[in-house]
Amino acid sequence: MRRADIQDEPATYERLVYKNTSVYHYMRISLVLENESTRLSAAQLKQLIVSGLRDLYGEVGGAFPFDLLKFDESTLTGVLRVYNSGLVKLWSALTLLGFYQNELCFFRVTQVSPFLLTLSGNSRELELD
Amino acid sequence: MAVFMDLNITYTTDKKRLRSVIETAAHLGYSTVAINYVVDLQQKKQEIGKPKCVLELFDTFPIVQGKSRPIKVLNRLTVVASDPSHFRPNAEYKAYDLVAVYPTTEKLFHAACMTFDVDIICVAVIEKQPFFFKRSPINGAIERGVFFEISYTPAIRDSTMRRYTIANAISLMETCKGKNVIVTSGAEKPLELRGPYDIANLGLLFGLSEGDGKAAISTNCRAVHLHGETRKTALGIVHSMKSEQPLTERQEKEDVPASKRAKIEMAQ
Repeated sequence: MRRADIQDEPATYERLVYKNTSVYHYMRISLVLENESTRLSAAQLKQLIVSGLRDLYGEVGGAFPFDLLKFDESTLTGVLRVYNSGLVKLWSALTLLGFYQNELCFFRVTQVSPFLLTLSGNSRELELD
Repeated sequence: MAVFMDLNITYTTDKKRLRSVIETAAHLGYSTVAINYVVDLQQKKQEIGKPKCVLELFDTFPIVQGKSRPIKVLNRLTVVASDPSHFRPNAEYKAYDLVAVYPTTEKLFHAACMTFDVDIICVAVIEKQPFFFKRSPINGAIERGVFFEISYTPAIRDSTMRRYTIANAISLMETCKGKNVIVTSGAEKPLELRGPYDIANLGLLFGLSEGDGKAAISTNCRAVHLHGETRKTALGIVHSMKSEQPLTERQEKEDVPASKRAKIEMAQ
């Protein structure tokens, strides 16, 4: 309701431009296999992810650049890096991947973040004394 | 925010496998799961048995990761039917917490959307949709509070099924605009389950918006659960509980889905 004695101030806008928004998204993933003694090398894991992308999105999707930054062979956990535009594609390809060499497997995505620093802490592994 | 639920875990007689599926679901963060008993009424003389008591499976339910409460397990019945006369609500349906129908013909789909007393309508994912979705029955279902379900596990198993799942999901989204959709697994093994945020991401693939994708596994599932609960009560107001002493009817105001609210006002 407008009152006659109160003057309306002209609306002001403030525009914030972030210059440091990350170009990449980082994902911490872990591969869970049916047969727990199978081990993969980093190259084999990347090959598996590329084949998953190719199955779902074709040649164009399989060619989308992403990097495996860290990979721990004993626990099968790693950190992936992908451009922001490719996050949905990569994540959905990981979700729908079901087989590795005729063995059931699944990718568990533990953390996703545009900043690498957030991947260092995880409240699930937090130990409260 | 509503908790994550997975409302479709296929029932197997192998107790150990069922137990490991539920444990994986609790570990991934789902607060509620529903064990699905599928009944195909197209074959003659199919009986709808009682669901197995949930307490038989576990002595103590596994704790949901991230919360301190144990996982909740419901029972759900899915009826595969092609003729509206097959579907008769009787006392056996009351033993299940949720009732779903899988229509195989257009006529049944229309009847299920407008008149049947169900909570969920399953959308075909393992075959090409035998009929087209029309806007009028879907809008009728949305107003009544019935939800459409898309299952994602066939997409993991086989690439042909993947195409069918995505094709049927996209055609559903075109007609329903992303409202009243839930996404569930149809997991038979623990390695076929996926985490809740992964499924919200898959919703983007199916044509849902980001908010709708997350709602498909949280708020919409909760609405289905409440819809199923109110089916046991009289129009959502009178709520009866089993207790040791006699005289058990209690008056309780419950969250009533919009379709039943209108009937209450008319009764007054």
